[in-house]
Amino acid sequence: MGFLTVLKKMKQKEKEIRILMLGLDNAGKTTILKRFNGEPIDTISPTLGFNIKTLEHKGFKLNMWDVGGQKSLRSYWRNYFECTDGLIWVVDSADKRRLEDCKKELYVLLQEERLAGATLLIFANKQDLPGACTVEELKDILDLESIKTHHWKIVSCSAVTGENLLKGIDWIVEDIAARIFTLD
Amino acid sequence: MNSFEVPSSTIDDLDISHSFEDNDERYFSEVVGHIEEIIMNENFQSIQQDFMEKHWTQFEDDEENRLIYTDIFKEYQNTVEKYIEKSLLEKMPHFDPNKFDEELSNRKFELEGEIFEMLSTFSNFISFKNMFIDYKKMKEEKLAELSFHISVLKYN
Ligand SMILES: Nc1nc2c(ncn2[C@@H]2O[C@H](COP(=O)(O)OP(=O)(O)OP(=O)(O)O)[C@@H](O)[C@H]2O)c(=O)[nH]1
Ligand SMILES: [Mg+2]
Repeated sequence: MGFLTVLKKMKQKEKEIRILMLGLDNAGKTTILKRFNGEPIDTISPTLGFNIKTLEHKGFKLNMWDVGGQKSLRSYWRNYFECTDGLIWVVDSADKRRLEDCKKELYVLLQEERLAGATLLIFANKQDLPGACTVEELKDILDLESIKTHHWKIVSCSAVTGENLLKGIDWIVEDIAARIFTLD
Repeated sequence: MNSFEVPSSTIDDLDISHSFEDNDERYFSEVVGHIEEIIMNENFQSIQQDFMEKHWTQFEDDEENRLIYTDIFKEYQNTVEKYIEKSLLEKMPHFDPNKFDEELSNRKFELEGEIFEMLSTFSNFISFKNMFIDYKKMKEEKLAELSFHISVLKYN
């Protein structure tokens, strides 16, 4: 173990949680992040790199990482897997045309060894749009019940209205905390 | 005012757990002291300086981070971690990161001030980025000053 690994482990005592937010482009990742941070959401452009926000939530320090989802950027996602406690997979529930693509990318991530211990929250975003798939429909299309490797939950939400965002975060933080901070 | 004060000799004699903590404390301070020395050393400073010179032009003071920052961060960790670890081993031939970790596992890790800021640039991406943004500002101020002097010379 290297010196830096020691430093990183020490940080865990401050109850830091690292959350990685991924999903296809246009899913609403950056909007969700800004929403959480209380920032305006009307001037967000597609992410070409990545954003990080640190939020205090229920006595935890959440480090949220949001990486751009355009096809050409997806091969870089792997550079952000390390030390991830929770994965938030954001879905544009109204973009039915791309749900197969969405499913494919999600399952690639679930095979990833460095994400093996991470809790998975699926945000069924854009519920405010007419024709958005419901949670039940998405469970079916994305075949979520077949996921046995991760603790997972799907929560319907809207980054625009703010509906259910907290509910999702509460769940993922609780699940992670129960796993990694129980020995304290 | 002094009536509740316990003679200090009593504390030393009776508080056994205290002496355990003292040993840990001493070991911890020793390691940190060495790290401090390493970081203040000009060798380290020049490694750091070279690294900043090589990469500062890549950084922008934008909220969104460019993907290349992640590569630069990795390179920084590799360069710096190796250097510190090597130097630490020279100063403490028996230094064992695992043992250090064990020793710390029951205490809250506390470091303050300059050394903490420096150490956090190794492990914390945001501190790392801020270090580069500060460096960039410093460089640009210097360049602006320089070009000001040059234009003064030109028009005088
Ligand atoms: N109606 C509606 N629009 C949303 C919602 N969330 C995000 N959007 C819009 O969807 C578009 C894309 O949002 P972003 O947050 O940029 O999406 P992203 O996932 O970060 O996209 P990339 O950065 O390209 O990966 C923006 O125009 C948002 O305003 C939502 O809940 N409802
Ligand atoms: Mg984005």
